[in-house]
Amino acid sequence: MIRSLILIAALAAPMPALAHNVISSVFPSGSDIEGEVGFSSGDMATDLLIEVFDDAGNKLGETVTDADGFFLYTPTQPITHIFRGDLGAGHVAEVMMPASEVAALMGREAAASTASASVGTPTAPTAALAGLSDQARAELATMIRTELRPLRQEISAYKNKNNLQTILGGLGYIAGLFGLGFYIAARRKMEGGK
Amino acid sequence: MHIVDGALSNPVLIGGAVLAVGGIAMGLKKLPLERIPAAGVLSASFFVASLIHVPIGPSSVHLILNGLAGLVLGWAAFPALFVGLLLQAVFFGFGGLTVLGVNAVNIAGPAVLAGLIFGRLVSRGGPMQGAIWGGLGGGFAIAATTLAVAFSLALSGDEFVPAAKLVFVAHIPVIVIEALLSGAAIFLARRVKPELFAGSKGGWT
Repeated sequence: MIRSLILIAALAAPMPALAHNVISSVFPSGSDIEGEVGFSSGDMATDLLIEVFDDAGNKLGETVTDADGFFLYTPTQPITHIFRGDLGAGHVAEVMMPASEVAALMGREAAASTASASVGTPTAPTAALAGLSDQARAELATMIRTELRPLRQEISAYKNKNNLQTILGGLGYIAGLFGLGFYIAARRKMEGGK
Repeated sequence: MHIVDGALSNPVLIGGAVLAVGGIAMGLKKLPLERIPAAGVLSASFFVASLIHVPIGPSSVHLILNGLAGLVLGWAAFPALFVGLLLQAVFFGFGGLTVLGVNAVNIAGPAVLAGLIFGRLVSRGGPMQGAIWGGLGGGFAIAATTLAVAFSLALSGDEFVPAAKLVFVAHIPVIVIEALLSGAAIFLARRVKPELFAGSKGGWT
């Protein structure tokens, strides 16, 4: 028994400790909602069906993740969007984007389309006052998102990392708990024996 | 294998918690003084087993080792596995505290079942025969756990058959590995420490 456990422990030691926690997030991306789903081990959920619901549970639509676990969804109504992906085996990713954010995102798109429609008319300079054109801004946003992507993944992977201290701490708790149980049982037995 | 917070509906969570409390009470009743250390060691091995990842294609699955605990401890596996699950939830964030009851029932339930079905067979005959039954018991516990997980998901609204298929297929390699591991562990235990089974003081019944 003990030998076999030592064997198991020895087998366990060199393996990387990875958790199977689901990570997911959504963020505005131009006029779309972009999100990612994956495991904290860095495996992203590919070709996963993401269903979109409102806060009453009515289905609004669905989308599918790409090879990197990212998905895109274009909102049609400024209401709360709940994205739900089932990774199987009880792993469910659920992220919400509140109505205000969706509205802001759609509002921006509406504003952008009116601005582009008015390009060429004498009133166009109002857009130039902002310093950056909408297109440059969108490109910049995409660039920043791409740069931040690995960082975000690394942070969430780091948050879910199990280090040796955690494992030893857990084992310590188990030893303590069962020691306590042993103590109580032994005391009860000794009292009964008297 | 661990269901996460938010995947199940409230009635399922409450039902799972009630069942788990019943199982723990039953297990503690059937845990004699002599077996407490064994329960602790198996609880610890269950706690650590989930960190052993077996890579399969793009994904990976982790060991569970609930069958082994059930074969050795019988009913007493319930509290032992519950402690392991509780600490996994707290330390590693596996599953969650609200789903703890359901997870305990899904993982410890099949372990107890495996113990009740295969426990006596494991202690009979030679070590090799015991190992074969042990392997069957270990595999059976995982298979039953996948079905239990699919069933809890089904109770919360998922379709049972596709969910069961998904969980079951994903865990076929684990079933095989666990069967081999449980068999090997039982074989070793039968040779090195046969009294673990033969004594069986308040063991399985």
